[in-house]
Amino acid sequence: MVKEMTVQQMTEKVLNKEPLFILDVRNESDFRDWKIEGENFAYLNVPYFELIDGVDSIVGRLPKDKDIVVVCAKGGSAAFVAEQLAEAGFDNVYTLAGGMQAWSEHLHQAKVYEDDQLKIYQFIRVGKGCLSYMVISGSEALVVDPLRFIDVYEQAAQQEGVKITHIVDSHLHADHLSGGKALAERTGAAYYLMKSEGAVFDFEPLEQHETIDFENVHLEVLAVKTPGHTPGSVSFFVNGKWLFSGDTIFVGGLGRPDLGGKVAEWAADLYDTVYEKVAAMADDVIVLPAHYADLDEEINAEGYVGDTLGRIRARNEMMQNKPKDEFIDLVIQSANTETPPNFEDIVAINRGLKTVDIETQRELEIGPNRCALHHTHA
Amino acid sequence: MNVAKVLDAKGLACPMPVVRAKKAMDELESGQVLEVQTTDKGAKNDLPAWAKTSGHTVIDMKEENGVLTFWIQKG
Repeated sequence: MVKEMTVQQMTEKVLNKEPLFILDVRNESDFRDWKIEGENFAYLNVPYFELIDGVDSIVGRLPKDKDIVVVCAKGGSAAFVAEQLAEAGFDNVYTLAGGMQAWSEHLHQAKVYEDDQLKIYQFIRVGKGCLSYMVISGSEALVVDPLRFIDVYEQAAQQEGVKITHIVDSHLHADHLSGGKALAERTGAAYYLMKSEGAVFDFEPLEQHETIDFENVHLEVLAVKTPGHTPGSVSFFVNGKWLFSGDTIFVGGLGRPDLGGKVAEWAADLYDTVYEKVAAMADDVIVLPAHYADLDEEINAEGYVGDTLGRIRARNEMMQNKPKDEFIDLVIQSANTETPPNFEDIVAINRGLKTVDIETQRELEIGPNRCALHHTHA
Repeated sequence: MNVAKVLDAKGLACPMPVVRAKKAMDELESGQVLEVQTTDKGAKNDLPAWAKTSGHTVIDMKEENGVLTFWIQKG
């Protein structure tokens, strides 16, 4: 009998580093481009269309003593193959419900911090490497870099008995669609974004808000302007302790300033950010980025993606007394021409210049994230 | 183009367009052309990939009003 595995169950397998055998039946280029990553996962990629006449060709390459999850784009082809495997005598076969589409859209909620005054949650988009956050204080919540799955944030707020009153985007995202505008419309929250990022709808320009305060507990959100990834990138420094770094600083390194075609100019901005603004921050500041490249490497013992600024600095030569010229040269050398898939459309939508239906939104976002791809080198 | 057979796979979800295409192709002779019409976006990559591994040749393809049409010559 074929069993179904949900994306939630798959996420647990990834986070618990469980062993699993993934039979991915998408075509070879889709598999090469993007797959479910797990530290103890084994893989076999054979497209479903090579198995139309039967699964005899792969039976010998599949384990009998380990769970097998058949994965495809949306679930249909996986079921087609899994049923044949069940008929061939495999009783350890699952299909991933909803396929890679559901995997791409799942958010895992992890707790970063909690005390009487403050609670921070991280939402990990495991299938794509995007991170967003909710900062809760009293009866209000602030959402950082929300994705388009705005129900998730609304449900989380409801669970906590709080109202979403503030939404911030650290920059205009090029790799995924922002949920900021839709979430602001639904909740009535104030939505903050740098005006220089070129959005055409109504929002609160961050240029006019050095701080964002809410609730009696004086939770201070300080927008430290940190250009580098895009000219309007900002970080959010909460209570002098948590740095929501957007795509500027990652657990594994620095962001890519090469997405706008002005790598030398933006690399200089990134240098100033790192050596003037971030350098003044204490080692025990906790960095909470908008992306990660390798979940196994970057998730910490507490179950969220983040690290102290001190440890990030210690690991990254680029943040240690590099002369400006050398820094810029190194960034230019590692500049990458590989852009996130469909980034021009995604940017246009995030600016409010274009609207598309849900089907198109899904297609535009399918595939891996490339914002954090090469950040260990730059 | 001389089309030997037309397969209407519109409205069918993956994997059915490729499964039906394979079955239709099995009934053709080498050199004959199968026309496949599908509305499944996944078929855009999968039909050519299947054709390639099966030794068939995609002669032409068009996308019109949400319908993808492929002309595939049997190898």
